[in-house]
Amino acid sequence: MIEVLNLTKEYGNNIAVDNISFTIGKGEIVGYLGPNGAGKSTTLKMLVGLLEPTSGVISVAGFKSKTHQLDLKQRVGYVPEEAQLYEHLTLVEHLQLMGRLYHLDEQLITYKITEFSKLFEMQEQAHQRISSFSQGMRQKCLIMGALLHNPDVLFFDEPFTNLDVTTVTFLKALIKRLAEIGKTILYCTHILEVAETLCPRILIINQGKLIADAPVEELRQQTNQKALNEIFVQLTETTGIDDKTNEALRIITETT
Amino acid sequence: MFEKFAVKFGADPVHYKLIMDNEKVIEDRASEGKQGIAKLSLTLYCVFSFFISIFSALIVFLGIDVFIYTIIGVSMSMAIVAMWGLPYFDNLLSPIYYQAIAHTPISSRTYFMVKLTQILKSSVILLLCLNAFPSMSGIFLKGEDLTSIGYFFPIIYIPVSFLSGFFTIGVMAALAGYLTKLYSIKKLQKIAKSAQFFLPILFPLSFYLIPIEFFQEHYNSIVKYLSYLPIGWFAGIVSLAVSKINRLGFQRDLLLTGVALGSTLILIMIPLRSIAKTYAAYLAFLLENIDRSGKKLRIRKSILSRLIKIPETYASFCLCALYMRRDKKILSQVVAGSFTMLIMFIILFIRKIYPIEYITYNYALGLSPGFIVFYGYFGMTLSLGFLQAVRYSQHWRANWILSLSPYGNKAAMWRGAESTTLFYLLMPWSLIAFLASTYFWGIYGIFYVLPGLVLLNFSVFTYPEPKSGLPLSEETVEGEIGSGCLTMILYSIALALLIGVLFLARFIHVWVYVGVYSIIVIGGTFIIFKFKKKSNEKIDKKEYSDEE
Repeated sequence: MIEVLNLTKEYGNNIAVDNISFTIGKGEIVGYLGPNGAGKSTTLKMLVGLLEPTSGVISVAGFKSKTHQLDLKQRVGYVPEEAQLYEHLTLVEHLQLMGRLYHLDEQLITYKITEFSKLFEMQEQAHQRISSFSQGMRQKCLIMGALLHNPDVLFFDEPFTNLDVTTVTFLKALIKRLAEIGKTILYCTHILEVAETLCPRILIINQGKLIADAPVEELRQQTNQKALNEIFVQLTETTGIDDKTNEALRIITETT
Repeated sequence: MFEKFAVKFGADPVHYKLIMDNEKVIEDRASEGKQGIAKLSLTLYCVFSFFISIFSALIVFLGIDVFIYTIIGVSMSMAIVAMWGLPYFDNLLSPIYYQAIAHTPISSRTYFMVKLTQILKSSVILLLCLNAFPSMSGIFLKGEDLTSIGYFFPIIYIPVSFLSGFFTIGVMAALAGYLTKLYSIKKLQKIAKSAQFFLPILFPLSFYLIPIEFFQEHYNSIVKYLSYLPIGWFAGIVSLAVSKINRLGFQRDLLLTGVALGSTLILIMIPLRSIAKTYAAYLAFLLENIDRSGKKLRIRKSILSRLIKIPETYASFCLCALYMRRDKKILSQVVAGSFTMLIMFIILFIRKIYPIEYITYNYALGLSPGFIVFYGYFGMTLSLGFLQAVRYSQHWRANWILSLSPYGNKAAMWRGAESTTLFYLLMPWSLIAFLASTYFWGIYGIFYVLPGLVLLNFSVFTYPEPKSGLPLSEETVEGEIGSGCLTMILYSIALALLIGVLFLARFIHVWVYVGVYSIIVIGGTFIIFKFKKKSNEKIDKKEYSDEE
């Protein structure tokens, strides 16, 4: 469902994504992990067609991004890391915009908006402007927008940010069920506990390079570590945490 | 100089300098990606203002008196300063970047003074460009009551024009302060919001009225009437300074001088201090501006979705139409343009009572330069002003939504913005124009509307698309208000050419005129349809093509 071959993104001399390759099959949920600035969001933006790769091949739902980008876009749903929305629109208007952009029938848009608003407990706010929404409500807007056109492939970039526990629990269950009905999901996150419970397979990217691509169990065996955060620290060679903490304390308490 | 002024009004000098530098960096960086002309907007605005000031300065050779001459110059200067300052005041009421520093120990007064300094700085440059030439040409004013002060005229005129500029800023600041107090009262909020659009309209209106009235018999009554307006007060100072003491009107000028100086002083001292004091509460209110009133979920289907068949165009049309009503920057552009047009038509109707040849005289069927100028020029100002405004948005970061969607062609998205212009602006505007022309010329009025209608449609369809091809996709940069000037100037030249060609044809022979008129209307319509068809083909082609 998702095929990435030798994907590279360069910004001048800075290589954000460095020659990465992976394949994700239908109905798979794959966690995409990495430290800040590792290139996770850049990869996702290239996969959904927001950024043009410097080199490499992307194929999503059977469509190559270079030759069939419109078909590719029609089949993907994307929840970005930051909730950048047209704030003068209301929730209903935002979802109508999304539905129309994906060529959905007006009646279907109306039906889905009504039902989604109930599911995400947003009926009361449906006609309020996004500018008055809390961060969690905005996040719900993004998720509803991404699911509206029933995409085959879903890209989530930190989707649970600012969401309450009930919604997170509901979404975790929903993501699992979506995978069961054949949707492919690439889940990008910093929160390793969520990745551990949701994603049977993990990709780890560090400094633009893909350093691990295996099921969680296999990674445990490879690294001799039980918890995913320990595996992560080992693979990304994040050492000297104690020294760093001591140094931070010294700087914070410095007064002269 | 500004820093000292700000500190005197209670700003923290370190924070003040810090935010000033920071906001400058933000503005510079925001315009980094923009094309050449957009970057030069203040310069462009100044050049544009300088050229306008040349025309107003030339009035000196019509033999008018110093009072009227100053009124014309001052009203032009105040109008342009008010129009330039409007987006800055909007930024004062809805500071975009305030949230980023709201939690830091920066006082609201300091933040307010930064915003005010930004307005003052650009206004000073603008005032210089606007008044340099009229102050020089004032030397050539002639009149029995004038003293031999002639060569010192610029020394008197420039400070007065600056004073009038500061007065304008004071009025706008007072209005802004009034709005900040009213914001919490829901019902009055809307009234107060719309009130800010009236000021920039009043000045151009008086600028338009004065030259016409001057050439008429109502001169004395109009001068008396103008003395009640701020433009008359400032003209009073100049008149007092350059005219003889033992003359008629000396006492009037003395009184007006007192009013001008006093009102400016009061406006600068009282409202500014008052706003600076209450700005903290206002900013706090902005941060917690959450509407909790729940409405029942009801989605209505618009019949317009049947008219616009391409989904991307319809989506973009809805987005632009909603932003036209809700985005204050776009709304101010539309409301100001619409009111100006409406007032112009009211003036046209009043003129029916005092007929003026250049507006209503029909040299030939469909030829009325005054009418075409009103309809064409102000229609263009409105429609192109809207298209210019709809390119930029403070929510430009949300353009990933438009970029992510599987739309086939950028033209389809921009077509949505064009459709909004046609449906919500040009259609009602043309209807009013048709009603007015029917009032003047009966059913033949349609012939007077057609050339303007063709040009307006042409200007909308040929307006250059933004680089991204998407509406609301470029970052708002306050200083870019004048960047649309060049496009506007080009279309104004086209309008002047259209009228010129019609005149020339009529001058040669009536049948030549009929031929040229038909070519302009039929040929223009044909070109628009051809252009539209080509654009549609481009969209359709992309729709079924997989390649991008």
